Amino acid sequence: MIDNLGIVDTKKMIAAIQETYSLDLSDYTLSILKRRLSHVLDFYNITLVDDFVNQVKRNNIDFQDLLDQLMIDSTELFRDPSLWRELKEKYLPEISRNAGSKIWMAGESSGDELFSLMVVFSELGFDKQIRVVASCPSKLRLARIKEGYGYDMKKMEIGEANYTRLSGKFEFNQFYKLDGNKAFMNPELVKEVEFDLTNISQESVSKSYRMIIFRNMLIQYNLPLYEKVIKKLIDNLIVGGYLVLGNMETLEHSEVGKKMQLVNHEEKIYRKRVD
Amino acid sequence: MTDYKAVIIGGSAGSFQVVTKIVSSLPANFPLPVILCLHRLKHVRSGFVEALSIKAAMQIVEPTDKEPIKTGKIYLAPANYHLYVELGNRFALSTEDVVNHSRPSIDLSFFSASYNYKKKLVGIILSGANKDGAMGLKSVKENGGLTIVQDPNECQVPTMTLASMNATQVDHVFSTPKIVDFLLNLT
Repeated sequence: MIDNLGIVDTKKMIAAIQETYSLDLSDYTLSILKRRLSHVLDFYNITLVDDFVNQVKRNNIDFQDLLDQLMIDSTELFRDPSLWRELKEKYLPEISRNAGSKIWMAGESSGDELFSLMVVFSELGFDKQIRVVASCPSKLRLARIKEGYGYDMKKMEIGEANYTRLSGKFEFNQFYKLDGNKAFMNPELVKEVEFDLTNISQESVSKSYRMIIFRNMLIQYNLPLYEKVIKKLIDNLIVGGYLVLGNMETLEHSEVGKKMQLVNHEEKIYRKRVD
Repeated sequence: MTDYKAVIIGGSAGSFQVVTKIVSSLPANFPLPVILCLHRLKHVRSGFVEALSIKAAMQIVEPTDKEPIKTGKIYLAPANYHLYVELGNRFALSTEDVVNHSRPSIDLSFFSASYNYKKKLVGIILSGANKDGAMGLKSVKENGGLTIVQDPNECQVPTMTLASMNATQVDHVFSTPKIVDFLLNLT
């Protein structure tokens, strides 16, 4: 992997992608973006940035393939077991008491967070009580999520250890099937989920959710885009609704984030205040 | 008055006692931020800062995403995230895949710090059982920063320091007391 992609080359790649595909990457965290773009060059076996720019300008690179390569997989099923335990024991039962509650998984990239939630739902018997909407801007990844994604076994071992840590009720292996060296989560888990291709950083959305789970996504944005996305997240929450971030993310650096109250410091769960 | 802007330290197996010695020797008014990227158990989120803080005069924190980097603080890379130094002298966190079997990866932290601080960075590699950090220290050197490794003869596990010495011409090979002396002389 090219680890020293310079700022000039990075900007050239951003400009070409923006011009050809109207995908604006200019407000993404530079350190992460540089690595993603290096990965893209590796994936297409391109050593010169100018070659990549030419390929993009000639439309030789399929946009959906490119988007797939740019996105970061989430790391684990049940990442931070203590968060999933909190959701299972406290927040989800509370939400379920309100008829018609909706939860938005606002930035799915590899389905881990969605499958984790739906396993917890199956434990709680909430499959039909709470509507879940999952957004993933990549058509390829969305199709994979609907089919159970296909994780490598290392990831499933980590997921199983996490599930044990959160005191899961079932045997974890009942939730997936092996096919070759890949593990596919049971697609039935996400049968009731409403999927869309929304990219929250670019499109406006206007729905009313009682909870939005958006963990470790804000870390990918620079401060201006972070502010803009937080505003969209808050606008989509009903008053009293919850926003769940990654445990090392915070709304502290955001002006509009002041509308939110931190109700769980360890797991970074915020609640929308009354205006 | 030092010309450096930051110190970054990477360590793994066998580095905890050395790091403890270093952080407990630095005065509260140490004039630089100190960034620690240490391999750690990914599912144990708490306790590490507290353990390091027992004898430390400087404040030790795990930085949240986008936290501004300030002089006089020690920053410990949080569990299960990569830690970057980002433009605007802030931290950025990432959940990208493991690098060298590690998240946080020392290489990634060192790459970003050397890119941002160039020759105004001191990079230090301590005891460790894999080669994560070697390419990072090379990057510090190539960007004009100062490179130090703990003396492999003193390391509990010398793999990381030896890999670093193979990867680049390090400026100093120091025992723990010498590392401490060097840092104190920056004040």
